[in-house]
Amino acid sequence: MKKLAMIPILLILSGCNLRVLDPKSQTASDQAFLIYLSFGIMMFVVLVVALLFITFTVKYRETEKNRHDIPKHEEGNRTLEIIWTVFPIILLIGLAVPTVMITYDVSYIGASSDDNALHVNVTGEQFRWTFEYENGEKTHKTLVLPKDREVIFHLTSKDVIHSFWVPKLAGKIDVLPGEETRLKVTPEETGTYQGKCAEYCGTLHADMRFETKVIKQAEFQTWLSKK
Amino acid sequence: MSSKTMSKDLYGDKRMGFFIYLFVEAIMFSTLFATYIIYTPPQMGLYPGELFKLHTVVLASVFLLSSSGTLMIAEKGLDRKNARMILTGLLITFTFGATFMYFEVDEFYKFISEGHTVAKNNFLASYFVLVGLHASHVLFGLGWMIVLLIQRKLLPFNLFAEKHRIFNYYWHFVDIIWVLIVIIVYTPYLF
Amino acid sequence: MEINLFGKLILLPTDVIAAWVLMIITGPLVLYWLTKKRAWPVIWDYATSTHHRKIGTVYIIFSILFFFRAGVDALFIRLQLITPENQFWVFQGDKYNEIFTTHGTMMIFFVATPLLIGLMNVAVPLQIGANDLAFPYLNLVSVYLFVTGGMIFFAAFFFNAAPNAGWTAYAPLSTSTFTAGPNNNYYILGLQVSGLGTIFAAINMLVTILRLRAPGLKLTRMPLFPWASLITSFLILVAFPVLAIALLLLQFDRQFGSQFFMGELGHPVYWQHLFWIFGHPEVYILALPAFGIFSDIISAFSRKNVFGYTSMVAALALIGLLGLMVWAHHMFTVGLGPFANTFFAITTMMIAIPTGIKVFNWLFTMRKGVIRIQTPMLFALGFIPTFVMGGVTGVMLASAAADMQYHDTYFVVAHFHYVIIGSTVLGSFAGIYYWYPKITGKMLDDKLGKWHFWLFLIGFHLTFFPQHLAGLNGMPRRVYDYTWEDGVFVYNFISSIGAFMMGASMLIVLWNVYKTHRKKEENAGADPWDGRTLEWSVPSPSPEHPFEKMPVISRRDPLWWAKLEKKELPHTENHRASPVSVKTVQPMFLSVALTIMSFGFIYGWIWMQILGGAAALASFVIRAFNDERKPAYEREEMDNEQ
Ligand code: HEM
Ligand SMILES: [Cu+2]
Ligand SMILES: [Cu+2]
Repeated sequence: MKKLAMIPILLILSGCNLRVLDPKSQTASDQAFLIYLSFGIMMFVVLVVALLFITFTVKYRETEKNRHDIPKHEEGNRTLEIIWTVFPIILLIGLAVPTVMITYDVSYIGASSDDNALHVNVTGEQFRWTFEYENGEKTHKTLVLPKDREVIFHLTSKDVIHSFWVPKLAGKIDVLPGEETRLKVTPEETGTYQGKCAEYCGTLHADMRFETKVIKQAEFQTWLSKK
Repeated sequence: MSSKTMSKDLYGDKRMGFFIYLFVEAIMFSTLFATYIIYTPPQMGLYPGELFKLHTVVLASVFLLSSSGTLMIAEKGLDRKNARMILTGLLITFTFGATFMYFEVDEFYKFISEGHTVAKNNFLASYFVLVGLHASHVLFGLGWMIVLLIQRKLLPFNLFAEKHRIFNYYWHFVDIIWVLIVIIVYTPYLF
Repeated sequence: MEINLFGKLILLPTDVIAAWVLMIITGPLVLYWLTKKRAWPVIWDYATSTHHRKIGTVYIIFSILFFFRAGVDALFIRLQLITPENQFWVFQGDKYNEIFTTHGTMMIFFVATPLLIGLMNVAVPLQIGANDLAFPYLNLVSVYLFVTGGMIFFAAFFFNAAPNAGWTAYAPLSTSTFTAGPNNNYYILGLQVSGLGTIFAAINMLVTILRLRAPGLKLTRMPLFPWASLITSFLILVAFPVLAIALLLLQFDRQFGSQFFMGELGHPVYWQHLFWIFGHPEVYILALPAFGIFSDIISAFSRKNVFGYTSMVAALALIGLLGLMVWAHHMFTVGLGPFANTFFAITTMMIAIPTGIKVFNWLFTMRKGVIRIQTPMLFALGFIPTFVMGGVTGVMLASAAADMQYHDTYFVVAHFHYVIIGSTVLGSFAGIYYWYPKITGKMLDDKLGKWHFWLFLIGFHLTFFPQHLAGLNGMPRRVYDYTWEDGVFVYNFISSIGAFMMGASMLIVLWNVYKTHRKKEENAGADPWDGRTLEWSVPSPSPEHPFEKMPVISRRDPLWWAKLEKKELPHTENHRASPVSVKTVQPMFLSVALTIMSFGFIYGWIWMQILGGAAALASFVIRAFNDERKPAYEREEMDNEQ
């Protein structure tokens, strides 16, 4: 039971450092919000269970006194059973509604809201990434993005399935052969973030990493034209 | 324990078990039907309609479907303990089943010799897996009938009748699958 | 290491050599020991008997054997990951991929599933007053199929060809374009053969529970383990055929040139659908029987009937049903679109409700009871919080948008180990301690059992709790390496230490078994735990056909009430026929045939495919002319004529 109690403490201690919980875009903060919300709701459930569990196991343990008692036969209890059916339903609705809303928000559906959006073609292959910008320039090891401008990734694979993931910017999206998937994200802070392949893709899957550099818009323009 | 109801009890178990087994088969075939539907018609290669021949399908169906009917003769024979009817029923059914297999093998052979193989496209691949699995069921059934024909004399009647009845369910099931194959695989592309 | 054999240069990695050397040394030793102990007649008996207890024992023994094998794999994984940029032995790159694939596949298909089927075999017939499973011969075939499939998979490593596409074998990585060689053929054939065995076992279990119950034992009077087995069997019948077809299609892609799951013409995502339509029910196939075991144990060790029996059964059924409709929650990042994603998110969350009902019913079964904490109960007590933690992260994962962050990271690895180890592994341990007297007539040592429990449980939480955090910090699963900057060193280090604690706890089990069988202790008696259900009314170890006089049941927990009222259970001699047992070597023949055929397919040797296939078909014919029921039917015919 001590271990259960440690979860929140550990999380509070390390939460701000964990990449997924340190979002640098709206998408990632929406997702982090869902994580915190579901975690909170679930911690409440864990607490209730832990409380009952400890009480019952301590209180009804076999002792010298009750060793030969025959507990009363008890079929069930309608009221209690209704409570622990209805109550979780309410909690889950509390989680389901934001889940639906945010899932729609973070998914790329149809046209972009922003004409000024930057489009980047991402190609995964064993075992490297290729990032192609609108002017045809390509990079492999680093993905450079402007701050505060919507970016739309068009992703496809040359061979097996990969998955494109920059934890601080957004959840992952699979990169499939013979098909294009999309991801939109607007970075909100400059900095350098880790990017990884998250779908097992073969021998050197672990090495399929890249760096994401978010820089100011003006710097981005000069970087792109200089390339 | 009275041994007088033994065969009834044990046959009941076996029938239920076999029905459940057929349920398993039904799920396997459903998965293959879904696969076929997903991959047909193919993105490239011949359109299914240019490949299937109406008369082969009709002839094969006539033989297989009527074999389910002729198997009824044997079933009647089991009820009446009439050895002649059982023998006749089994023999006719076997002949019809074998004729069906002739058409199947012929069709497969033609397709393959004309270069329409599994590797060509996924329509053909799913066609071969689905129809091939069905054909192998028919083939297995033919072998089963041979075994039954031999067992006729060797087993106590109760036991033989039980094995025969189980076989009947199998054969009818294989027939139903064929009907579904005709409806799902052939019909949409023949007309 | 390089060997020059007949002019061919063969490269052998040192781990394979080590395995061969180990086998060549220990193999003869084991054989010698068995001979010295005069164990061969016993082994032969177990290999040819259709008695459900013996078959169950064989299931359990082989599952535990595979558990040690897959456990050693897990330790190698943890050694490779113990520090950043580590180079442990050969386990980088492909070797690492092979080892986590073997670990995962083996744990799921050759440990967890058969362990539970073994326990069902041992306990279910006794709990419902059946003399054996409905089809004893088929039961022996099932166990042979499991062992054969497991051994085929096991052998892969010895030929330096362990599968390497993950236990999910996602296409197109698993097709021959990207993983050529026999490796993943072992995966396909091993699972195909053992999967067939699982299907047969489920059919057998279903018919037994539906038709062979003692007089008066209505379905609503059954203990919860048979109930769970019933629903699990149904799930197996829906899930495993889909896997069988998926594997068949994959085999066509690999060997016969079709392109069902390849990039251009086919649909890689279709494999994922098929796999998870099987795969998600599979996790409930693993969880439900464990729930059943815990229900029985918690009730017996609290000296109280199960609280809310009806809702317990309803919850089992509901979990099973919902379990069939949630498979795409493993595919939130594939791009199925927000509509499909939210649909599957919500069905997934709904499963939490019946699961919650079960947890509260377990808790309230203990309330006002007298809780006797012996090893089986201790495992049940460890299960509740552990499983709840896994369930809780399950709901978090169900939240689709959030799952895009969790997916394919160590957060998921932590989650499924919490649920699978929390339910299946703890449940199987509990079941083994609980029914050990029914299996062998002896009790395992309680003190050592408790040591086992604590070491295992603490090791478990140490191993897997930090992995949540590693995942949240961006560590993907299935990587053999990470860097210092990743900031996951501490989590991984703790994790590796915990893994060795779990490993150590398993040595205690071995010691416990050895100790128990060393001394010639007297029999544990029919009812060592003061049980409530029918299995405790027959002698230990349970004899063949123990219910020649069939008990007549008038309520739940019949034995308990009979003991309370100090009465014998009423009996009848007039009941339905029992299944006919037989001693037979035929399944052994089938097993050899299938092994030959499988290796034919694995290496593409057509003559072996034909030889093995023909032999397998021949075994049908042999069976047709050697039906153990013939004498019985002849007798019946004679009786009826008189
Ligand atoms: C003995 C303690 C165990 C340890 C230390 C352990 C450790 C691990 C680790 C570290 C991984 C992740 C490998 C990676 O992603 O690179 C893993 C994967 C896995 N484990 Fe375990 N495990 C244990 C027991 C089990 C058990 C009992 C089961 C199931 C019955 C199981 C099922 C799996 C599965 C299915 C995978 C996924 C394999 C894959 O990614 O293809 N493990 N295990
Ligand atoms: Cu990768
Ligand atoms: Cu699932």
